[in-house]
Amino acid sequence: MRILCVLLPHFPWRCEVRRNPTLAGKPALVVQSKDVAGSPKLVLDWAPELDGLQTGMPLQQALALHGQAALISADIPCYRAAFHEILDALEHISPLVEEADLACAYVGIDGLQLIYPDDNAIIAAVRAAVPEAFLPRMGIAGNKFLAYLAARRSPPGGHQVFPGDAAPLLKDLPCDVLPVSLKSLEKLREFGLKTLGQVTTLPTGPVQSQFGPEGKRIWELAAGIDNTPLYPRMMETAREESATLPSVTVSLEAILFTVETLLRRVFDSLISKGMGVRSLDLWTRTWNAEQWERTIRFKEPAMDLKNALARVKRILEDYPQPGPVEQVGMKITGLGYPRGRQRSLFSDMRAREHLAEDIKQLESRLGNPQIYKVKEVEPWSRIPERRYALTPTSR
Amino acid sequence: MVADTGKTLRADAYKPVNAPEPLKVEENAAGQPAAIRIKRRQAVATIEDKWRLDDEWWRAEPISRIYYNVLLASGQRLVLYKDLITGAWYQQEY
Repeated sequence: MRILCVLLPHFPWRCEVRRNPTLAGKPALVVQSKDVAGSPKLVLDWAPELDGLQTGMPLQQALALHGQAALISADIPCYRAAFHEILDALEHISPLVEEADLACAYVGIDGLQLIYPDDNAIIAAVRAAVPEAFLPRMGIAGNKFLAYLAARRSPPGGHQVFPGDAAPLLKDLPCDVLPVSLKSLEKLREFGLKTLGQVTTLPTGPVQSQFGPEGKRIWELAAGIDNTPLYPRMMETAREESATLPSVTVSLEAILFTVETLLRRVFDSLISKGMGVRSLDLWTRTWNAEQWERTIRFKEPAMDLKNALARVKRILEDYPQPGPVEQVGMKITGLGYPRGRQRSLFSDMRAREHLAEDIKQLESRLGNPQIYKVKEVEPWSRIPERRYALTPTSR
Repeated sequence: MVADTGKTLRADAYKPVNAPEPLKVEENAAGQPAAIRIKRRQAVATIEDKWRLDDEWWRAEPISRIYYNVLLASGQRLVLYKDLITGAWYQQEY
């Protein structure tokens, strides 16, 4: 399988520059805060000319390095929308497009020879699909990890192709490039394993016994083996609705009223199709551009406004807004048909499942086992009290 | 310290079924049940069956019982036994 990795470095910052061209060439930080009021701001992205910064770095630390930098509040829905536009364009090149992360996509390029005779033709098509301002880095290789490394090594706007046997290219790369847990990376450092080449000199067994299941993956990746399949984007009907409130508010009722209006629009269009909402991403934006976002999934597709609104209300109550809200929006990410209440041939089994669920709930509320079942212990015993016992149903 | 969730599998989570219940019994000269007292005294009309159970003799507390299937004067049937080690009477379904 041949894979093309498209990396869009400094994507949030470039989105901001596209929106406001005066930012170009100026030192700026794109900052984000978790959707809890009072949580510290973290650096999401920065102008490429600023150095020494990392994604997720506390803002204070970043300002200590670049005190003169302008601060821009991250607008994640906007970045995501821009990235989805790029993914849609990439889908015109190949139907196999995976959204790995914001600003990182994998494209399956097998079997495209009749349309794109060689790699250069594919690269040219990708360059045409991605707006020039984003300066995509592209890498082509036999698996996702190698394609990613190739893209990382390529210059902005350029590309690199890794040959079939990439082991010699990998041996001097630092272990930090491995997409594994932070804990494993630290452990690699503790063992004095700094490069991928050092990892591959060890036999697989000891690596696996030290790092557990991740050990095998570490060794394979270090050797340039990545069997992770490509997960193409699922075709789904997404629908987005948003509204700006007439004035900023902290009132839950006002926010709920706006959500109700948006949901009503959604349900009006769905009713004729007989569909319901299976999941939605609800987001709000505060007056100081802080973002609050929650994904709400329904056990069964919500077929009417009342059901959906009740759930949304609970979420809004449980997860308070970080500040006065200015804009409310939602993206319907999953649509579904009502689940048929099929009668089971094994009605006893269903009844048992329901009963077990009810008992569990009862026990979680009252603590100790509440309902027992008779269990055969020694049914053959001559001593009557040894034959059966009552055991908690949840055991 | 982790709070007990009540989910641990413990011996006390089990409850016995058909555990013997103490019973007041009047014995005749032969040591057989003549009358029992459940709320009120009831005479034993007939002993319909009788069998002995000896088990777990290798343990510190061996089991040695004589079971009686009796018909009371009221017409009620009952299974009771005498613990031959302690001499106490119990009612128990067999």
